[in-house]
Amino acid sequence: MTELNIIVCAKQIPDPEAPLSDVRVDGEKKEVFVDAPNVISPFDENALEAALVLQEEAGARVTVLSLGRKVSDTVLRKSLAAGADELILLQDNAFEKLDSHSVARVLADAIQRIGDCDLVLTGRQAGDWDSGQVGLMLGEILGLPCISLAREIKVEGRQVQVKKNIAGGYEQVRAALPALVTVSNEVGELRYISRTRMMKMLRKASSIPSWSSGDFVSTPDALQGMEIKELSSPPDMGRSCEFIEGATLEEKADQLVAAITSF
Amino acid sequence: MMYLSFPFIKGELILMVPHRIMFWQIENVWVFYLLVIIAVGIFAAGVAAHLRVWGAVRRKNSGIPAIRFSKGALKRAVLDSLLGRRVLRGETSAGMMHLLLFWGFFILFIGTALLAIHDYLFPFLTGRTYLIYSLVLEAGGIMLLAGVFWALVRRYIQRIDRLERRLEDALVPVWILLAGLSGFMVEGLRLAYQQPPWHGWSFAGAWIAPAISSTAAMTLYPYFWWGHAVFSLCFIAAVPYTKLFHILGAPVSIYAQGAAAPSVLDMDRVEAGAGEFGPVDSIFFDACMRCGRCVSACPSEGAGEPFSPREFVQAMRRLLWEAHFLLGDIRFLSRGKADQVDDKFWYCTTCRACLEVCPVYGAAFEAVLKNRISAVEEGTHIPKLMNQTLEKVFKYDNPWESSKTNRGAWAEGMELVDLSNGSDSRNLCYFVGCTTSFDDTARGIAVSFSRILQKAGVDFGILGKKEPCCGDIARRVGELGLFLEQTDKCRDLFDRYGITEVVTSSPHCFHTFRHEYPEAGFNARHYTQVLFELLTNGKLRFKNGMTAPVTFHDPCYLGRYNGIYDEPRKLIRSIPGLSLVEMNHHGADSLCCGGGGGRMWQDLEGGDPQMSEIRIREAEITGARILVTACPLCRIMLEDARKATGLNETLQVMDLNELVLQHLEEKNG
Repeated sequence: MTELNIIVCAKQIPDPEAPLSDVRVDGEKKEVFVDAPNVISPFDENALEAALVLQEEAGARVTVLSLGRKVSDTVLRKSLAAGADELILLQDNAFEKLDSHSVARVLADAIQRIGDCDLVLTGRQAGDWDSGQVGLMLGEILGLPCISLAREIKVEGRQVQVKKNIAGGYEQVRAALPALVTVSNEVGELRYISRTRMMKMLRKASSIPSWSSGDFVSTPDALQGMEIKELSSPPDMGRSCEFIEGATLEEKADQLVAAITSF
Repeated sequence: MMYLSFPFIKGELILMVPHRIMFWQIENVWVFYLLVIIAVGIFAAGVAAHLRVWGAVRRKNSGIPAIRFSKGALKRAVLDSLLGRRVLRGETSAGMMHLLLFWGFFILFIGTALLAIHDYLFPFLTGRTYLIYSLVLEAGGIMLLAGVFWALVRRYIQRIDRLERRLEDALVPVWILLAGLSGFMVEGLRLAYQQPPWHGWSFAGAWIAPAISSTAAMTLYPYFWWGHAVFSLCFIAAVPYTKLFHILGAPVSIYAQGAAAPSVLDMDRVEAGAGEFGPVDSIFFDACMRCGRCVSACPSEGAGEPFSPREFVQAMRRLLWEAHFLLGDIRFLSRGKADQVDDKFWYCTTCRACLEVCPVYGAAFEAVLKNRISAVEEGTHIPKLMNQTLEKVFKYDNPWESSKTNRGAWAEGMELVDLSNGSDSRNLCYFVGCTTSFDDTARGIAVSFSRILQKAGVDFGILGKKEPCCGDIARRVGELGLFLEQTDKCRDLFDRYGITEVVTSSPHCFHTFRHEYPEAGFNARHYTQVLFELLTNGKLRFKNGMTAPVTFHDPCYLGRYNGIYDEPRKLIRSIPGLSLVEMNHHGADSLCCGGGGGRMWQDLEGGDPQMSEIRIREAEITGARILVTACPLCRIMLEDARKATGLNETLQVMDLNELVLQHLEEKNG
């Protein structure tokens, strides 16, 4: 059997796990400022983990694609440290704040340029805007069968077998390869990359291939930016806690009833 | 004539020199020599196999410091072996049993060796020497039998909790029993026939002899003699293949544990494979004879969690044998039970209680740590929350999902000096630590300690939001790369602001600074030491407060790891009105709260009741009104346990700082 070629699309975003106090929403500039390091979007990390498991089980070549105006190779090299075979950065000023459809088009062009591809994996949605559109649009543009919200992925012969989340459970579906699968967190957290392993990866001199728009985008003029109409902080969900006083349980119960009814 | 003065002598007075006739009534002595060669051969092969495994482990892990010559370690190994000090400690019954077995065996062993010398080199066991020899060996035999009998009673009748009942656990003592009894029978038969006038010196044999007729003795003697020979030789052959190996392994392990150079990790060692087992580990695993003291001491196993230090050590031993010996595990008699460990080693709190009781000074938690180091390098078997926590330490310099900018928030309005402003040259740096900085319950420690220092007029400063994580968590869960990065951050910061004196809230930061920092250019103390110094210098004056019994929970990293037991107790006793009552487990025997070793940040299912709940119940039983501790993790765990067990009003959990501040004179200093 020829080796499976898997492409994982991974987005670099400000850490969505950042402490809330480090996140600031600027309604006027319509921007979110996050004072936190950049990371690979968590669902994309899940997709990478799924790819690495397939790599271990069936033997696969895993290529990671990351798109943005400027992508940090320090952040994305984590994928190589985890076990991916190749990392390609798609960087261009023209890629700033693209809408989901444009992102999908650019990714599709990159995948077509790579050529050999049996399985495309993306996160179910990005950890910053949570749109959840790029994966399925990418499948559409590439003309691939798509399975969304995968919780378990297996490749058997020329078919991919997926357990996908549905309300209250999962259903098991199959698609012929090549196919695209969007991955949910249930496949498992990306393996831990120790600092020693990461440092070894960073010390390696090998440069990471970086493609700019002119290298591969077929219709650069058709790309559109995302337009934000309005941006505001979530309302302050103030919490308060009141202790019910009372000498006996009955007294406390009465006080509790009084407190509830007074709302 | 002087031999005849012995009072027990019966029968005729025969004027001859007491001695033993070798191979009396035994034909085909060459068969015996053949059996000896076979038994010794099997024994030697087993010992060689052990040496081979230890050597292979050593070759595989060259990064581990070698076992040096150490007089102290040698002395400890000899004294512990001869006196059974560790076996006696805390368990007199087990210790006495072991002393009987050890000395019984030792006497018989030396006796047999002397007999061989007497027979082959130069005869000296005659006359008075022979009589004393007989008497001592007789006593040795009795001691051995009594010890074995006691051991069997403990294991199979008393059924002591920590003792296992595997196949070899029964076979070994029964075998010794048979060897011993047959020995006495042989002696009895010989005495029954020969009836030498000195037979009273062999009092046990002399006690059997009268029941046997002289002709029966003559007939039966060879059978019993050969039986005894076979039992004894099999015993020798079995030593390396059963838990009996501890006869050789234990002294070696005690020596090796004491003689191995203490190792501070640096990048070279980390990259050379700090997660590999070294010869010291391998020797410990082989010396372990499953006594189960660690099982009784382990707080995790005590709370019904799935981790067991004994099973873990056995599994690791098996792992090394399977990796380095062609035939796999040599202890085929104890193979019955599968020692599976899987990922259970994440449960270990690294509380060090197992080391405190292990007769061969084995540190199961150090082996646990090595497994964690390997697991972290591999990356796929880390509990999910731990994975995230390590990421957080890397990204935010704390495991609490909190912003670096909020680190100094507890100090708002307290007018403390921020040493990281660089304008102040005072050099006592209060290193607050992650948990004390961010956790609501633990912040009280920082506030109280700072207030006490202010009241006592101590010049000190903090590092505010520049303070990094000391790396304890990373070290405890085996993320050594991250740990070393944290040590760099701390040292750079201390160097930059000329800090040479550091005092910590947490025993964990304290221990890490004191023992695990490579080339630390600063002196680290725990706050209990600073408070104690202030007390001795008369800088703390207490007012009369309430009268109340108080109990103290020794944090593992303060007590067992660093031997600080007295300072906090003296502080408590110096407060008027308070009386110190001790919990069942205290001092070196303290019971872990369950928060150390990275457990605070893992989503493992705890026992029921939890470790901390078991501990709070112990505190409750003392009748104390306040449970005092000196560690932010203990403070949080015990406070939560107090709420969970519903001990709302009766027992208060406090940090020592909070207690001291509460009782300080208004105008202290």
